[in-house]
Amino acid sequence: MGRMRFLCDIERCIDCSGCVVACKEGNKIPVGVNRRRVITINQGKPGEKSISVACMHCSDAPCIAVCPVDAIYQRDDGIVLVDKKTCIGCGYCFMACPFGAPQFPSGQVFGTRGAMDKCTFCAGGPEENYSDEERKLYGQNRIAEGKVPLCASMCATKALLAGDADVVADVFRKRVFERGSGANAWGWNKAYKK
Amino acid sequence: MAGVANTWGYGAMTNSLNDIRHTKSMIFIGSNAAEAHPISMQHILHAKEVNNAPIIVVDPRFTKLAAKATEFVRIRPGSDCAFIMGLINEIIQQGWHDKEFIRTRVGGFPEMADVATKYTPEEVENITGIPAAQTRKVAKILAMNRPTSLTWCMGGTQHHIGSSITRAFCILQLVLGNMGKSGGGTNIFRGHDNVQGATDMCVLSHTLPGYYGLSDGSWKHWCRVWDVDYDYMVSRFKEKKWMNAKGFTLARWYEGVLQNEKIHQYTPIKAMIQWGCGSNSNSQYNKAVEAYNKLDLFVIVDPFPTMAAATCTTDNVYILPCSSQYETSGSVTSTSRQLQWRYKVVDPINGSRDDYTIMSDLVKRLGFADQFYKNIKEIPEDITREINKGTLTIGYNGQTPERMKLHMENWHTFDIETLQAKGGPCNGDYYGMPWPCWTEEHPGTPILYDISKPVAEGGLPFRNRFGLKTTYVMSGREENELASQGSCNPGSEVKGGYPEFKDVVPGTNWKTDLSQKTIKEAIKRGMAPFGNARARCVVWTFPDQVPIHREPLHSPRPDLIEKYPTYEDKPNHYRVDTRYKSEQNPDLAKQFPFVLTTGRMVEHMGGGAETRSNKYLAELQPEMYAEINPIAGNNLGVRDGDMIWIESPEGGKVKVKAFFTERVDAKTIFMPYHFGGVLMGKSLAGQYPPGHEPYVVGEPANVCTNYGYDIVTQIQATKDGLCNVSRA
Repeated sequence: MGRMRFLCDIERCIDCSGCVVACKEGNKIPVGVNRRRVITINQGKPGEKSISVACMHCSDAPCIAVCPVDAIYQRDDGIVLVDKKTCIGCGYCFMACPFGAPQFPSGQVFGTRGAMDKCTFCAGGPEENYSDEERKLYGQNRIAEGKVPLCASMCATKALLAGDADVVADVFRKRVFERGSGANAWGWNKAYKK
Repeated sequence: MAGVANTWGYGAMTNSLNDIRHTKSMIFIGSNAAEAHPISMQHILHAKEVNNAPIIVVDPRFTKLAAKATEFVRIRPGSDCAFIMGLINEIIQQGWHDKEFIRTRVGGFPEMADVATKYTPEEVENITGIPAAQTRKVAKILAMNRPTSLTWCMGGTQHHIGSSITRAFCILQLVLGNMGKSGGGTNIFRGHDNVQGATDMCVLSHTLPGYYGLSDGSWKHWCRVWDVDYDYMVSRFKEKKWMNAKGFTLARWYEGVLQNEKIHQYTPIKAMIQWGCGSNSNSQYNKAVEAYNKLDLFVIVDPFPTMAAATCTTDNVYILPCSSQYETSGSVTSTSRQLQWRYKVVDPINGSRDDYTIMSDLVKRLGFADQFYKNIKEIPEDITREINKGTLTIGYNGQTPERMKLHMENWHTFDIETLQAKGGPCNGDYYGMPWPCWTEEHPGTPILYDISKPVAEGGLPFRNRFGLKTTYVMSGREENELASQGSCNPGSEVKGGYPEFKDVVPGTNWKTDLSQKTIKEAIKRGMAPFGNARARCVVWTFPDQVPIHREPLHSPRPDLIEKYPTYEDKPNHYRVDTRYKSEQNPDLAKQFPFVLTTGRMVEHMGGGAETRSNKYLAELQPEMYAEINPIAGNNLGVRDGDMIWIESPEGGKVKVKAFFTERVDAKTIFMPYHFGGVLMGKSLAGQYPPGHEPYVVGEPANVCTNYGYDIVTQIQATKDGLCNVSRA
């Protein structure tokens, strides 16, 4: 079975937030919860780069390791999901995650948190595929339909790639090969003043 | 578009978004494609990655597009013409111009080159702030990496010399020989999926649909198409002379109400319909607001109440909720001149009605539905068929509803690189049959003015639109305006230049022969119906026959005004007197020391009525702001995030949040123009129909944009005004 992965190509990302809006609109995410967001560094200066970040569905996912109630699990295809009916909203996963992916509905008194919400790779959740319950708790299940996640399918510049790891790697390898050819090769600008 | 059309015939994007994949270098000037045209970026970045094509971005701001550039050129707003003429001069001085292309297909070159010599790299530096060495470097990049794709947008056009600036862009591409070639062209990106279509239908005050103009012959042509009696049409006007007179423009309609300046019409404007108009894109918006309240009748047709609806304090306003694009169908024309069929997804919701229904009810009540609907029984297909029948000037005759639908159903058969269908039911067609598509068998014209292909297969020469011969006033030289011997499309019966086709059907020409025999005859002989001429470097009907720099009306460089003054005042410019010389005051910059420029942000669209009513987009960009360089902010004693007042010389002012960023330099203030619902510090959120206020309201930047209009087209000069900034 294939292994699902995300890859955001920073040479391609133009900070349009199309992925963010596609995710929210398609999965009916409340305002304030961001399964995906675009981060920009060096804004307005040479070297400005943007990257779209969500749960990366890690191989040895730290969130799974720290969850005290075993609400987080990994599918055979690598997709990491949370069972919202088990989650107690403790926030340990948020502390453990290197990407800041876990989200919690905010605005309640005393900082109480509801169940954790995060990117599902558009693969729904533990409920029955296409059930109303799955849709309500987790949003769409596009993986079951054989489609890539909404964010990647909507990306204007194909910066955000999602799908089988081997295919994603092939697409990216080809791009890097083309970029590295001739005058774009690393160091040429400095060395030969192209 | 007037500048472009007057150079070589048509005023549209010459190549396509996909064709940018073939370019060897790109220059963007006054375009922030990463925010305004994100979809185009996949082709732009493809060319950058696969062809190693350098991306040159010329802009007053370090934009999100500049973040993807290989060369960023920071230019002073309003000095584009000087920079481009400087590039042209450098290219000619170095001998990098395409001599054969110029000899065979370009007119007025020596006269133009003579003017360009004044723009040395050093003089360009003085005017634009661009280092002389960078002008030389950019010229070399363009010369060594051909073909170049050149793109501009509103940053290039919205100046009082906009029509000169756009011509300078065209001349640069002629000098480099980049026209009519895959990977080259002037690729003027249009705003959304039907801006080109709206332009082609000429929802404008100076011409009938299809750029036919307002002459008697044009009215008679369209009356024949509409099957309406010409005398009946004349009877609808107060006097016949108003049929031939240009009307007010979107930029200055409010003067027709307020009459602060003298108007040339028998009555002030009393009623107005705004149909899908983000009204807060109007410069000096506070004056437009004043005019709204003086109208006897004001009708707004839009899916969401616009800011105009909230500004009306009198009871003169009617809001008609129309449905969105997903709730209706019809043909649209993209920036690449491609016609597409847009299908309805759902029936109109929430009591809204589609545009066709609203229009139909309106003309019924106005009492001329019988004249209006003579050819139109099936909506919207018959509307497209009527367009096919009459819009011969730009070859809208081959794109029938049936062909468009066939293209939509067979998307997968078109090649992403060439846009041509390989096999299948559309075999050989270019996607969307880019206009001109001369007959129902013609594949469309993917690249304008490309003489490497036969006309029947999508090739074209430059259009013969400006006579056969001319004598230049500056040199006394006479020149044949037709292309030289040997320069023509393959298979052309005449091996060289030829005039436009006429009298194939006696008394008509290719534009007015509704039988289309003239067009078919031309194609049969391997020739273009509109002739084969030279593109013009000299436009003898324009105030500046060769593009020259003129200081912005409100200039931050008083020392340059004497050398590069604006025009004389222009009376009766689209029915209203318009100030130029009397408005250019060298002392203004003392009181208003910052340059104000405006632009788009990716999250919002136009006036923002729709996008600010979307909760997710509102969440991403919830607040109006002004970009200010930290140096300028600190000198003013303002902190990042403080509220500031920005004031224009005309008395408009906005209270907005200061956003410190090095995107702008220390002399420039930038504001996005999508916000609305607040006017000069006062929120109008309570004045929207209950439950219909947008999630996000903010000051419209255009309250602060300055006086100033193009000398030919009257487009508003929103990109190079002056302002003052103070702590709120």
